[in-house]
Parts: sequence; structure tokens; C-alpha cells
Amino acid sequence: MSSQELLSLDVAALGEGIRARRISPVELTEAYLARLETVDKRVVAYITVTADRARADARHAESEIAAGRWRGPFHGVPVALKDLCYTSGIRTTGGSKILTDFVPAYDATVWARLAEAGAVLLGKLNLHEFANGASSSNPHFGFVRNPYNLEHIPGGSSGGSAAAIVARMAAATIGTDTGGSIRVPAAFCGCVGLKQTWSRVSRYGVLPLADSLDHVGPITRTVGDAALMLNVIAGHDPNDVTSSRLPVPDYTSRLDAGVAGMRFGVIKELTIGASAEVLDSFHAAVRLIESMGARVEEVSIPSIDSGILIASAITLPEALEYHQRWFPERAADYGSDVRWTMEAAGAMPATVYIRAQRARARMLAEVLGAMAGHQVLLAPATGIAAPLIGAQGRGAKQPDGKPVNLVKAVLRFSAPFNVTGQPALALPTGLSPAGLPLSMQIVGRPFDELTVLQAARAYERARGPLPPPKL
Amino acid sequence: MAKLTSQTVKAMAQELYGYELTDEAAAAVANAAGAMVTHSRRLGSLDLSGVQPPFGYPTLLAEAERIRKRG
Repeated sequence: MSSQELLSLDVAALGEGIRARRISPVELTEAYLARLETVDKRVVAYITVTADRARADARHAESEIAAGRWRGPFHGVPVALKDLCYTSGIRTTGGSKILTDFVPAYDATVWARLAEAGAVLLGKLNLHEFANGASSSNPHFGFVRNPYNLEHIPGGSSGGSAAAIVARMAAATIGTDTGGSIRVPAAFCGCVGLKQTWSRVSRYGVLPLADSLDHVGPITRTVGDAALMLNVIAGHDPNDVTSSRLPVPDYTSRLDAGVAGMRFGVIKELTIGASAEVLDSFHAAVRLIESMGARVEEVSIPSIDSGILIASAITLPEALEYHQRWFPERAADYGSDVRWTMEAAGAMPATVYIRAQRARARMLAEVLGAMAGHQVLLAPATGIAAPLIGAQGRGAKQPDGKPVNLVKAVLRFSAPFNVTGQPALALPTGLSPAGLPLSMQIVGRPFDELTVLQAARAYERARGPLPPPKL
Repeated sequence: MAKLTSQTVKAMAQELYGYELTDEAAAAVANAAGAMVTHSRRLGSLDLSGVQPPFGYPTLLAEAERIRKRG
């Protein structure tokens, strides 16, 4: 099998090929490292490439499999981690100057579980500094570029995680999502991003942005790969007492059950304010879902527009509380946009935070009310396609140079489901006339990732893959 | 309620954190924090009376136990 063919396979296909010994983990890893060498100069998805570690992991996997000890679908498969995830003996920067030389003494639970499943570590991925922003234009490690158009942002904060998937620089990656940081880059780059129910996956050993809104989850090429990865990383962790003790199902078990007879609700408020190209693509996706035998109805959730306010009111003080170990003493070492959020958080009264926390239950109650009789909800994942990288890397801009309000155009669509903690999966619906990915999100009831994955897989199969970017 | 001014923000940053804000940054922070407080009051329209914030006692107990075991 050629390198090109190897790089085109998803985890499900790689896992089968490796198990049957048609694919060598060593050759596969070399193909990925060669790809990284040629492509990442332009995409800037990686902060640290762990080539020696990857080769050692791959050799170990190959010898185990040859001896008949196959660990599962990730055995011998090259993956990469957002550089917020602790890796023992490997630096974990958080995309920051402050932690440039920080080397953890232990692994984040998500990585420990993937390593135990036999995954090969290619490296640590670039991100918006400390996950505190949506552009991934990192002032310390370089601006991550959108593989579909290098002048555009990949979204963030897990920009490197999504860009690496789409640019064929990892078979699967880990991202984190506090206000949309898995789904937004997945949407802008044209891949699958799953923010599962809060507490379903351990946050132990992952640098926090805001503890009560942070989620750690998969960014993958396909819905099936997201299910496979969730199978590995989900479940209670004694090191994270907030992690759920509910049993973990096999997330692949209902992937091919289809959507005939399933009831979907389209969130009316989130179809307002999106661009025409996003809405055209979204409505085409809804029609395709209906054509597969699903029933689709409009639902109204008036409080959903409070989602971004609630998320901001919680994120700012929780982030500042964590960062007070460095801020303000090392304020000059932060990028200007992240420093600004710390400054603003310092002026916010605690009453705002408490009220926002109180409002979460009210908002979740309203969303669950809208879900009565509907298994999942649908909405655009973002209100726009990926905008241009902003002037001096600050935020994003329109073609006429005017700045884009990422809160209004992007996070307004994603942050409500961090507030409610529900599972939400972003997947591509097509390309814009300018050739940039468009995406929708499928939102489920708490802990019902199975139905979200089932619905997403059915749509993905019917739509077919996006044409890959020309890199 | 009194309007949050950039002078107040500058003084607060200095007094609480020993942190010097530029006039421009202080004005931006005052605007943002003021807007957040205003919008936060509007959350009251969601009828939050009697709604508990999600700070669970089971989490408190479990975390205390984890810390105790760690020593």
C-alpha cells in the first residue's frame, strides 16, 4: 500500500488492516512523519513532533501484534494531542510562553487510555494560547492555518487538532471544548468534532480553561472514528471526581441503525443570524435527513441566546482563578488577547458568576423541554465559514479588512451546549462557493452520545466525504 | 447602580493585584465588565428564584476524600 493510500484511511480501516497485518504500524508511522515534514511548515498544526517516541511506539505495537496481542482499533495507529494534555516526559506548553519548557511528570488520563490502547504518539498540537480564544493564531508558536485555504483561520481553540486531521497529519486527535473549541475548528476545517456530555471523559491532567465548562473529546475524520475514540477515553477516573460513574456503552453499537423514524428538532433561534451559505448548506442537510425517513420539526429555545453570556460569565472568572499562579506577575508573557480576558475577568463581580451558574439549570430545563419528543436537535455549528486570519493575528477579518465578531458569528452557536453540558457533534455539510467547509451540529440528551453518533453516521454516509484540501 | 469607570478599574487593578492598566485597557475593561453586569441582570428574566447553582455536595465529598487519600 502506498503512503498516499495509508494516509487516506480512517482509524476504523487502519485498525482492521493492522489487525490483519496488511498494514505495518512502522510503515504507517513513517508515512505520517514524512507527511508532517512536508506539510506542517505551511499548516503549523504541531508545536512538538515526537518522532523518536512515535517510532518506538510503532515498533512496540508491531511486535505485540506479531505475537498475537492486538489491543484494539487504536493499536499501532498514529494520533496527536492538543498541547493542553499532560504527557509524561514530553513538554506540554498550553500554547503559551509561560509553559514553553514545562515537562509534566504524569500523563493526562485521556492519553494514558489511548496509550494503553496501543496508540502511537506523533506529537503535541498547536492551539489558541491556553485554549482561550477561537482563532488559533498563536503568537508564540505560529498561526495555525486552515488546510482548505491557508489565509483563513482553522478555528479554535483546538485549531491544530482539526487542521492535522484534514491535512492528513494524524489519524485522530484530541481536542478540548469550553465554548466550542472542538466543534468550531472541526466545522471550519471540515472534519468531525465530538463534545460529549460533561463528565463523560476525565479532565485529569488537562490544563483547564474553565473547569465547569471544559470537555475533552475526539476530533476525527469520520463519525465512526469519533465513536471508536470515545470507547477508549470515556468512563470514570478516580483522579477526576467529577467524571461520571455511569456505565460506558459501546459507542459503535448503533452506528448503522439509520434515522428512519427518528425525530429531529431544528433550533429556530440558531437558524437566525447565520450567513446565507451556512443556511443553504444546513437546510440541504435537513432535507437529506428527512429523505432518509426522519421526522424534522422546528423547536424554539428562547433562552439559547443567553448561552454565550452565561458561558462568558463563567469562563472569565474560572480562567482567571487558575491563571493567578502567573497573572498579573507574568502579564507581559501572555498574548494580548488572552491578557485582555484576564484583565476583564478581574473587574467582574462574583454575583455575575453565581447568577450565570444558576441560569444553567434554567437553560438546560428549557432545552430538555424542547427535546421532549425529539431524540436530537440540529443547528448550524457556526454562523459563518472560516474567516481570514486577522490583522497581526488578532481574531479574524472579512475580505474588506473589517474584524469579525467571533463571539456573535461563531461561539453564539456552540457555547450554549457547554452551558447545558449536552453532547454535541459537528460534522461537515459541504463546501462554500469559496471552497471552505460548512458544518452542522447534532445535539443529544445528556449521556446519549449513542443517538448523536447514530444520526451523524447516517447523514455522513448519505452525504459522502468532502473533497480533500489541495495542499 | 453606579457606572464602572476606567478610573475605578485602574484603581482596583492596582489595589487588588498590583497591576498597572493603561488608560485604553482600563476603558475597555470597564466597558466589558459594565456590559457583563448589565446583561447579567437581564438573566433575571429567566426566573431564577429558587434555582440552585450546580455546585454539588457529592462532588465536594468526593474531592475531599480524594485529597485525603493522596495525603
